[in-house]
Amino acid sequence: MYEVGFGDCFLVTIRSGGTASKILFDCGSIKAGPRQITDVVEDILEAVKDPDGKSRIDVVVATHRHKDHVSGFASPLWKSVEVKEVWMPWTEDPDDKDAQKIRGSQAKLAMALAANTERKLRLQENLRVKAVNDLALNALSNEPAMHTLHQGFAGKPLRRFLSVCEPTEATFEVPALQSVVSHVLGPSRDKAVIRDMDPPAGQSYLRLFGGDDLSAGAPEPFREDWWMDGDPPEVSNLLSAHDRSIINSIGEGFDFDLAASLDKAVNGTSLMLMLNIGGQWLLFPGDAQWGTWRMVLETPRWRQLLTNTTFYKIGHHGSHNATPVDFVERTVGNDFWAMVSTHHVDQWPLIPKEELLSALGKKTTKIARTDKQAETPTPTFQVVQDRYIEVEIPLLQ
Amino acid sequence: MKRTQSDYVTALPARRPVKIFSTDPMLGRTAGNRIAIDVANEKLGYGPAGARVVVVDYDGGHGRFYPPVNLNDPAILMQGGLDPTESDPRFHQQMVYAVAMRTLENFDRALGRLIDFRKKEYQQLRLIPHAFYGANAFYDRDLHAVLFGYFRADRSDPGQNLPGQNVFTCLSHDIIAHEMTHAVVDRLKRYFMEPTNEDVLAFHEGFSDIVALFQHFSFQEILRQQIQKSRTDLRSKTLLVELARQFGYATGAGKALRSALDDPNAKLYKTTFEPHERGSILVAAVFDAFFATYQRRIRDLIRIATGGSGELPEGDLHPDLVNRIATEAAATAQQILTMCMRAFDYLPPVDITFGDYLRALVTADYELVPNDEFGERGAMIEAFRLRGIYPENVASLAEESLLWECADPGVPGLPLQGIDMLRELFFAAADFGSVSAPWASWGQQSASSARSSASFAEADSDMEITSEMAKVLHKYAQDNLQYFHLSGQLKIEVHGFHPVFRVAPNGQLLIELVAQFAQTDRSYTKELGGIPLRGGTTLVASADGKIRYIISKPLPSPNLTDSKKKEAQTRLDRQRTYLRLTDLADPKLSYWTQDEIANRMRLRMSLASLHQGVS
Repeated sequence: MYEVGFGDCFLVTIRSGGTASKILFDCGSIKAGPRQITDVVEDILEAVKDPDGKSRIDVVVATHRHKDHVSGFASPLWKSVEVKEVWMPWTEDPDDKDAQKIRGSQAKLAMALAANTERKLRLQENLRVKAVNDLALNALSNEPAMHTLHQGFAGKPLRRFLSVCEPTEATFEVPALQSVVSHVLGPSRDKAVIRDMDPPAGQSYLRLFGGDDLSAGAPEPFREDWWMDGDPPEVSNLLSAHDRSIINSIGEGFDFDLAASLDKAVNGTSLMLMLNIGGQWLLFPGDAQWGTWRMVLETPRWRQLLTNTTFYKIGHHGSHNATPVDFVERTVGNDFWAMVSTHHVDQWPLIPKEELLSALGKKTTKIARTDKQAETPTPTFQVVQDRYIEVEIPLLQ
Repeated sequence: MKRTQSDYVTALPARRPVKIFSTDPMLGRTAGNRIAIDVANEKLGYGPAGARVVVVDYDGGHGRFYPPVNLNDPAILMQGGLDPTESDPRFHQQMVYAVAMRTLENFDRALGRLIDFRKKEYQQLRLIPHAFYGANAFYDRDLHAVLFGYFRADRSDPGQNLPGQNVFTCLSHDIIAHEMTHAVVDRLKRYFMEPTNEDVLAFHEGFSDIVALFQHFSFQEILRQQIQKSRTDLRSKTLLVELARQFGYATGAGKALRSALDDPNAKLYKTTFEPHERGSILVAAVFDAFFATYQRRIRDLIRIATGGSGELPEGDLHPDLVNRIATEAAATAQQILTMCMRAFDYLPPVDITFGDYLRALVTADYELVPNDEFGERGAMIEAFRLRGIYPENVASLAEESLLWECADPGVPGLPLQGIDMLRELFFAAADFGSVSAPWASWGQQSASSARSSASFAEADSDMEITSEMAKVLHKYAQDNLQYFHLSGQLKIEVHGFHPVFRVAPNGQLLIELVAQFAQTDRSYTKELGGIPLRGGTTLVASADGKIRYIISKPLPSPNLTDSKKKEAQTRLDRQRTYLRLTDLADPKLSYWTQDEIANRMRLRMSLASLHQGVS
């Protein structure tokens, strides 16, 4: 687990016999601090060097397109890295009609929200508007990074767009990863899940604000000769100045609701994977939200699978709705390894959610978090301050 | 007295004709879309400003007013109201007023009393037809207003609208009726806005759709047209079963906003959370009951028309047959709507579930029409069963087990000696009578309304009750805690007391007295996300004060019986689970401030954000 601030970057190296296979989960973020994301990329390239001095990764997994998960792929350094396969959620499939639609509306909504909030921020500093702006920017498509994932890397990698709907394909082995069985737990193609990815509220917001330039104010409902110059004496006393000021500002609060649902929508596209590597069960949920989790927990086969978990990448920087209580308290066993990549951000006082981490703490003491590196239990984990935290998990078979 | 001075000559008409779009402007000049309806002829000022609702045409997006219409202007009176048009704001005001009153009158009639909108600082509910720019409309309790938005139709996919044309939510019959119903429900049951379980907000939404939907059937011309077109199958995708068509098309959805029958097999699942979606199951169940009753009622007509075969021939139906069927459809729809509204007096004051609603429907109807002459009640039970809506704590879905439990005969009756009952009944009857003859009070306040506004100021509350009556009832509840499953440790709020007059189809007059009590336990507020734990009891008594039904939602309390203790605990657990589940589904939770988190259930009560983009 690399220290990337409020982002995700995990490298899994599987050593068996004399060879090593490597899986990279995401690479994005780092804003504060001395290190840049390119420093992290350089670290990774060094770590994945084969004896011949060439950097090779067997599988690159991009769980979803949020900047804090993919920004690192914008680096030109990736051009020289040989990759065998790139795995992405089905929502990234360039040829899939539903996926195109979802990506289109998410991007448009992000742009509209970003433009709207930037205009407001120029007028006035406001923490809430800043928060909306951050959420929108995080969701804005990151073209160079997405280009690397879709067309870049050396070695002509095979691209797989994974979904959970075809049961036969949801569990598979690939030649690139010997003796690793992968289970795709999300995202689903279920209608309800798709609707979460393309929320109706966002659609109507776009229709309202996407096409029109509203900087001059709302469009006029009536011709000018209907406008009154003063207040009509018969009814004006029925609406106090206070009431009018409330009515004048209707709609201001909606941006935040939308930004939050956009964030959830993009997180909802997260590829959720369970890898069985030599008898160890590694769960990488990306930033999957309740929609995906619910389907997993309600499907007996997947629920059973979750009980095996021996390593858990804590979802969405430890936020409350990326790790359900049902999973922590009633599904997963005890004494597993867990890691969370997180960082305190002023706008998000409740991430990471301490109650969640202490609930996990009751199940296992083997938890590492990048925001509290000094408290990492050693020697279970090795900490290289401000660079990465490492854990060695023995293969059982 | 000269004949020319008598009421016969001088009295003004009881009804006022006004024109509206029967659906919305999208249907344009389609026959039956521009119609005249009539509403009670009350005294009207500019606005229009009536006794209970007033239209205030303030545009918050531009900070200006549009000129208020005077419906008494001879130029307007002589043409029976302004003609429907999108470009004249005065017509918008007229239509909002007319549909709002039509909706209110439906409630008045069904409940046997006038819905009262007087609140401490306001005399009327305010309707603001062009309040803001946005594809939304909502009722706001704090503003004591219904606010309608306007917006531009989608440029790429506007349906039958012009791309980018102005769309006014205040010109949609369905949106007005829906929002008015929210306002009425909030007046009748102020705690039904607090999301204590997954059914509460869904009930608000579903019920509002039911009212909008069944009011369609009172528009004769459209009804006849659609019966002809669908060959009597009103379930088929007709204008009648679609809600807010223009809104849906204008926002690019490519269909009406909602329909009674989107999915004929939709059932109520634990996992259906979104209030509109969950509410639509309730709408579907009620519509199924309507359809079954309607079919039974027209079967003989079709047999007569087809020489006994019951098979309709090819081609157009005979217009006489269509007329007769339309009459049956309209009557059935009105009966079902009335039945749905009447159930309100038999609902608990807090924490409603769809199951409670079914029980209230059945009980209210049973009290009025014990023999279920038209089979509506049976149809309703069957429809709810098919949609997967079951009440808790009932042994079966047989009618007698769905009725609320009868009160034990040992329960002390209402203290009628402490209330001047005759006076109450008299005023209530006078008030109610004034629905049909409002002009009597023209120019002067009726005795009864003067009386109640005085007591409003006195009681400093917006409840339908006077303070001396509240005292008597409070003592009565305090003395009989154990019967009413109230907690001895918490304050009892008296939440209204009113006599109800109803006339059964057989002509029998039914008088009932309904009292509501509520209790609030604030020790759970923090744990429950900012809303307190509430309990309460509705009492239904016969005119002599004898208690007939005790409909309670108990709070945890040591003075309860074991079974009620268990019920209280189950309710608390359910509310906790519901909070946990809404938290999981709410993307804002991670991004709220501590303060907002502490009050998150309160924030979720806002109809403005609930309706965002979906009306």
